[in-house]
Amino acid sequence: MSINTKKVIKNAYRISKVRGQTALRIRVPGGHIETRFFALIDEIASRFGNGTAHITTRQGLELPGIDFERIPEINKMIRPLLESLGLDREITDDGYPSAGTRNICACIGNRVCTFANDDTTAMARELERAVYPNDLHFKIAVSGCPNDCIKAALNDFGILCTVEPVYDASRCIACSACVETCAKAVTGALSLRDFSVLRNRELCIGCGECIRKCPTGATRRSPEKSYRLVIMGRTGRKNPRMAETFLKWADRESIVKIIQNGYAFAQRHIDRSLEKEHVGYIVDRTGFATFKDEVLQDVRLGEKVIVAKHIQWGGYRYTSDAGFR
Amino acid sequence: MINPFLPSKMKILDIIPETEIDQTFVLAGRKPVKPGQFFQLSVPGAGEAPVSVSDFEDDKLFVTIRKVGRLTNALFALAPGDYIFARGPYGNGFDYRDYVDSDLKVIAGGTGLAPVKKVIKHFIANKSIASLEVLLGFKTPQDILYRREVRAWVDAGLATLTVDKAGPDWSGNTGLITGYLKNLDLSNLENCKFIVVGPPIMIKFITIELLLLQVPEENIWVSLERKMSCGLGKCGHCKIGETYVCLEGPAFRFARARRLLD
Amino acid sequence: MGYQLSREQFDRFLDRLQDDYRVFGPALDSDKGAFSDTDRITYKNIRRLDDLELNRKSYFSPKEIFFPIRETLFRFCEGEPTVPQIDDKKIAILLRPCDSNAIDRLDAIFLENGPFEDFYYKRRRENVRFFLIECATGFDSCWCVSMNANTTKRWDVAFRFGEDEILVDVKSEEFLPYLDDCPQKPFEIRFIYENTKKVRVPEVGEVTLDHFAHELWNEYTARCIACGRCNTSCPTCSCFTVLDAPLGAEKKMGERWRAWAGCHIDGFTDMAGGHTFRQSRGERMRFKTMHKINDYRKRFGKHQCVGCGRCDDVCPQYISFARCINTLSDCIEEGKRK
Repeated sequence: MSINTKKVIKNAYRISKVRGQTALRIRVPGGHIETRFFALIDEIASRFGNGTAHITTRQGLELPGIDFERIPEINKMIRPLLESLGLDREITDDGYPSAGTRNICACIGNRVCTFANDDTTAMARELERAVYPNDLHFKIAVSGCPNDCIKAALNDFGILCTVEPVYDASRCIACSACVETCAKAVTGALSLRDFSVLRNRELCIGCGECIRKCPTGATRRSPEKSYRLVIMGRTGRKNPRMAETFLKWADRESIVKIIQNGYAFAQRHIDRSLEKEHVGYIVDRTGFATFKDEVLQDVRLGEKVIVAKHIQWGGYRYTSDAGFR
Repeated sequence: MINPFLPSKMKILDIIPETEIDQTFVLAGRKPVKPGQFFQLSVPGAGEAPVSVSDFEDDKLFVTIRKVGRLTNALFALAPGDYIFARGPYGNGFDYRDYVDSDLKVIAGGTGLAPVKKVIKHFIANKSIASLEVLLGFKTPQDILYRREVRAWVDAGLATLTVDKAGPDWSGNTGLITGYLKNLDLSNLENCKFIVVGPPIMIKFITIELLLLQVPEENIWVSLERKMSCGLGKCGHCKIGETYVCLEGPAFRFARARRLLD
Repeated sequence: MGYQLSREQFDRFLDRLQDDYRVFGPALDSDKGAFSDTDRITYKNIRRLDDLELNRKSYFSPKEIFFPIRETLFRFCEGEPTVPQIDDKKIAILLRPCDSNAIDRLDAIFLENGPFEDFYYKRRRENVRFFLIECATGFDSCWCVSMNANTTKRWDVAFRFGEDEILVDVKSEEFLPYLDDCPQKPFEIRFIYENTKKVRVPEVGEVTLDHFAHELWNEYTARCIACGRCNTSCPTCSCFTVLDAPLGAEKKMGERWRAWAGCHIDGFTDMAGGHTFRQSRGERMRFKTMHKINDYRKRFGKHQCVGCGRCDDVCPQYISFARCINTLSDCIEEGKRK
């Protein structure tokens, strides 16, 4: 059997444990899929696979137990799935054009969740159009609010949808519901002084809890949406770590542009001697300052945006498992 | 149009310390007032609160205030010669005529003594009732209000004083006020009338005891404390059932008060 | 006097009113819901027919127009209280019969209860004119008929908003000049006589002290989160708290406000010194229920609740006040049978 594994992997098929068998990796941007595709997925899994589908850690679907020679046939069949991605490129019968950039994850977002500050599904799809296809191994996730249920903090680019509360004292009854919820469940950014609410903007993370709790509409949503961009979080065998905040109160356009610039940055600096290099390790080599300069190129940040001056990532290194010595 | 929310200035003539946290403010002012009624006292910018009038003379009003928060902190920072703002008096107080010829028993716990102090003084001076007995309870000896007067009442055999807890230097009675009900002379029970004032829990247990002693509920009066924000029957804070404590109370016949469930 | 107005004529009517009246009505507040990308119907200034949203119920009632959520009572400057002036322009409010009746319920508290009229309420209330919106079908969550609040005789101008035409009945002569060139057509406003939702309200006297201690309230201790939305959305909730704040750097200056208060919200009964009544949320639900359908009625001879259903619409815990009243009635019926 002759298989060009690199080509197969790029085509979104896995080299599996079982010799001769592969698994199809279906992209589901934002983890939200139209159920009309279930019949198609069922047909592929039943006819070519082992009749099962795995829901992947990145919200895709993986159909295992497929013989390699079935790939061309399956690629033809999955054309509607590719078309549903809404990419600005012609869709062919050749299957997925790339698999490096992983499925863009998102929590259920404000189509359903009361906490979410934006439509994360729509944002995941917008990002998919902005960055896919691309062979670079990037992980991007969108969380509807700073609760970060999707764990954007473990991605190269994590977007937390935020909202800036707008307070109107003339509607406030000083019930303290916002102050209490912020103190107990968030950062304690709010305080009541002389029966009016004061907000510490540095402490405020834009979660919107104060808005949800207000019984009079004294605290409302600002008309513009805003986002916190956290960067270079990762799992892995070397130095797993949480992402750190790069931007606060950023606008959507800037976020998309910065992520696109992040791809260009990685292309410029990647160590091509390695099989692959994650962007986080590239940033570790170049330093945050270089990364910052390059990704902010040609980005027109709004007035409200706050950019991190320095970032010191933490995480742990398996080489220093001090507790075991 | 009358603006009933507008307070007027009242001059502080004197400040009498009562305990570490209670002071009696003597205010200049001639207002028709009945014992048990209250004023809304305020310090601009600090707040407004209901305070029952504890005594009054020709041109003086007495209010006893406990330091518990923002407004009272501001009040305690004032000195004789300063002004406070007040509106009132509001509410229904105690009507002396209700007790004529009776054997009146006044049972007061803690700051509950304030709204009935004038009643006690009135009936000491005015012999329109058959007899007067007073039962007073405070948390500790340090909490005793109106010490000079209370001592005089005790010395005259008029009052029984107890404290819930006391150190070794206290030689008087200790224990809850309910335990001293038996000290009252209830031999002519049909002619006894009772005024019970104090914290809600004390009123509850004293009245239970009195009913067990077969005291008819129409012979008991109580004064209910509530958070009145306006004193005018508008703000709703003191409403219990269809009753507004600020309008129909704070002094109630127990027959009515017992139907006021919170 | 009846009129038939085209949409353009209605807009012209609004135009002409602008000099003498501020007109308020239910309008769409896009993106102003508590959740993102949601809207809310609120009472806003109306300048054109298109500003009005008549297909959905307003989240808050019109009461905030003349009973502001937070209102300055006076400022202490140089030690003397100064009462702020208000805009004395007349206020025309487009409202449904339930809300019109709700204003009557507020009037009882602010103008009748106690020895004094409420100065602040009265001076705004005197400027209010009723522009009644015909409401012949109601909304799914209303029970105005059960509360006898489905009809009203009180309106200055009544409207039926049709697709292409607006029928108008003018009761107050002060509005005739604004319509003098409009075509006349007799018009009689209709009311709703049956809601989908029905509430059985106990008679005064049927509610006894036993029902205060009834276990039915315990459910609400478990479910209610004391957020107060039922209070703030209610057109008849009239409670408020007087608040003081220092003004400026000089400590002797201060401002006194009043702000809406709610019997479900923590702190409503807190007294100086720390005692609190009705600590459990079930007790608060009982207190509110009794006030709305029993206590107020004993005092003023009518229900306070007008069955607008906003409390049911806004409760984040899906507590239904309508169901609560029915449960209370069931308990009373059950007690009778025993």
